Amino acid sequence: MSTATTDNSGGRVVGERVMVDVQGLEKSFGDNHVLTGITDQIREREVVCVIGPSGSGKSTFLRCLNRLEEATSGTVQVGDYDLTDPQVDINKVRRHIGMVFQQFNLFPHMTVAENIMLAPVELGNLTKPEARKRAEELLDRVGLADKADARPASLSGGQKQRVAIARSLAMSPKIMLFDEATSALDPEMVGEVLQVIRDLAAEGMTMVLVTHEMGFAREVADRVLFMDGGKIVESGTPSEIFDHPQQPRLQEFLSKVL
Amino acid sequence: MRALLAAFATLGVLLLGLAPAATASGTDGPATTPVTAAGTEASGSEAGGTGETYVIGTDTTFAPFEFRQGGDLVGIDIDLMEAIAEDQGFEVEWRSLGFNAALQALDSNQVDGVIAGMSITEERQEVYDFSEPYFTGTVTLAVNEGDESEISDWEDLAGKQVVVKTGSISEEVANERQDEIGFEVTALDQTTTLVESVKSGNADALIDDYPVIAYGVQQGSGLVTVGEQVEAGDYGFAVNQGQNPELLEKFNTGLQELRASGEYDEILNEYLGAEDDGVDPSSFWGLIVTSLPSLLNGLGNTLLVTGISFVLAMVLGLAFGFMKIARNPVLRGIAVTFISIFRGTPILVWAFFFYFGLPPLIGVPVNIWVAGVMTLTFNGAAYIAEIVRGAVQSVDPGQAEASRSLGLGHGKTMQRVVLPQAFKMMTPSLINQLVIMLKDSSLLLAIGFAELLYQAQQIYAANFRVTEVLLIAALLYFIAITALTQLANYVDRKVNR
Repeated sequence: MSTATTDNSGGRVVGERVMVDVQGLEKSFGDNHVLTGITDQIREREVVCVIGPSGSGKSTFLRCLNRLEEATSGTVQVGDYDLTDPQVDINKVRRHIGMVFQQFNLFPHMTVAENIMLAPVELGNLTKPEARKRAEELLDRVGLADKADARPASLSGGQKQRVAIARSLAMSPKIMLFDEATSALDPEMVGEVLQVIRDLAAEGMTMVLVTHEMGFAREVADRVLFMDGGKIVESGTPSEIFDHPQQPRLQEFLSKVL
Repeated sequence: MRALLAAFATLGVLLLGLAPAATASGTDGPATTPVTAAGTEASGSEAGGTGETYVIGTDTTFAPFEFRQGGDLVGIDIDLMEAIAEDQGFEVEWRSLGFNAALQALDSNQVDGVIAGMSITEERQEVYDFSEPYFTGTVTLAVNEGDESEISDWEDLAGKQVVVKTGSISEEVANERQDEIGFEVTALDQTTTLVESVKSGNADALIDDYPVIAYGVQQGSGLVTVGEQVEAGDYGFAVNQGQNPELLEKFNTGLQELRASGEYDEILNEYLGAEDDGVDPSSFWGLIVTSLPSLLNGLGNTLLVTGISFVLAMVLGLAFGFMKIARNPVLRGIAVTFISIFRGTPILVWAFFFYFGLPPLIGVPVNIWVAGVMTLTFNGAAYIAEIVRGAVQSVDPGQAEASRSLGLGHGKTMQRVVLPQAFKMMTPSLINQLVIMLKDSSLLLAIGFAELLYQAQQIYAANFRVTEVLLIAALLYFIAITALTQLANYVDRKVNR
């Protein structure tokens, strides 16, 4: 890791500082070994896309990064916090980690603005009027300024996912995790969500995305991880992964999806 | 979620609010009767006001001697005793206990005397001291209105089916005459059953105490008394042997005075005379007019006991529901045990247990309201706990994950994200549970709790108009439940938009 890697999208520069440090991460559900030893480092402002066949452990890996899944062994360090330390206040750590889900998981009993305001107000970061102002700014940023008082049920899938992204941004996270954020969307809605992610990348947000959008991964990622059988099988720049795949399993996978 | 809790609290309070409105009709209403029936403080005589106060035990319903009218205890025994008390300058505190319980209370000196349409017999004279006879009992024959031409006297019973009351003087009379005249005798346990047997045509005639049957005729039971009445012993007021001799003396003196003044005849006439003044009680309208006050009183108690129990059951049910999904195995164990015990046993068992079984264990009598509320609360709480658990678990786990990912703790996530959605889902089930509880409260009649069905039973035990009284009671239940459901749905719509 000598010099900062140049990017493939404008003037963004991946930093030196390590944001996520994963060492020997394993995860089992009973006899089912989902992650069999993952070691990787993700740096500040880096955009990492995780690809691989279903059941390869991509989502589990991502969920270990904010401890929605507890590691069976190994360590996960995010920023200054060791997530595998039982002493660490996980609620505090999670405020700095935004998470976007495949199924959006908006709170249906709240308006769009209330969804976004919930965390800042409940955690005492902002007063209600401040949070409302922030919610409006964030909605403007994802192109939904007019939807502040709508109910989630009245939104399209793409709009819901953009609200979910705005909600994650409300706590000003240092890193964003996307768990197949576009997989549940109708094809014509995928573009609007990817555009928001693209903008975030351009602004220098550190991001880890589990995705099936190979074209998007190639376009936006600094680095692509190919996972299979609970391991990172191959890691490299988009051009290394997509144009010069080394491992037979990656070659086979790409031959199916591309 | 707070709004939802508030809504349910409001519903409970509304129920409580409705109850006194319905109860307001009777002053010394049956609401208090079972409380006294619990014998919480059968204390014996106390000095009070101008004269002595005597605690007098009596039967619950033995019309026309004692029964409830519009919630008040009335009847020949009651009116007679009160007239004597007034004449002799003492006060009476009534204990409406039931015949056997009243005698037991007399045995243990918990009451000073018993007046309950009781025949003076040799066996009883061995343990009690009796007053002069205040009424000479007779036994009569009764048939359906319209059958009196066919059966006009005892001789006409040849070849007929006759019903009598088990272990009573009427059974003795029937047995004496059975062979001579030649009729079939069936013994049944209650006067109501006798009347229903004749009305339904299963029996041709009944033999029972004249005053009881005559009062029923006056109230429109649909029977007529026929034939010559047979003397069946004298009724007397009793005190425990050697106890309260002055009370016995006052009773005898007072009785003499009443007989002399003609007040005695007036009292008897009021209950046994052919026609009642005012509304004709034998018409359906008359029945409604005479029975509605007690029934509304009962409805008030039904709503009150249901309201209190529902509010408490919500609190307990929420607690046990959360305990059942808690991570702590001890809490889970407690909840599972509680729920399976109260879901796995009939509600009546608990009603009996809390009222009759618990007092010996704790050494303190249990008030009937406490027993009733405990019964409905624990049963309801077990079901509400399951409703809560089911609703919380049916909220998409992604909701909690999203909330936790924002940095909200477990408590805040439950409070702000999971529970509001769970409440929305559980509302229809909770409304359903409320309706079930209201209907289940009728089971409390078994311990003598004066709710709606109990009042209905008391009324038809006196006038034998079972079908009509039950229909009126059912209608009242229906109206109350429909109104409550509408109200609950309205609240649901307002709160769970």
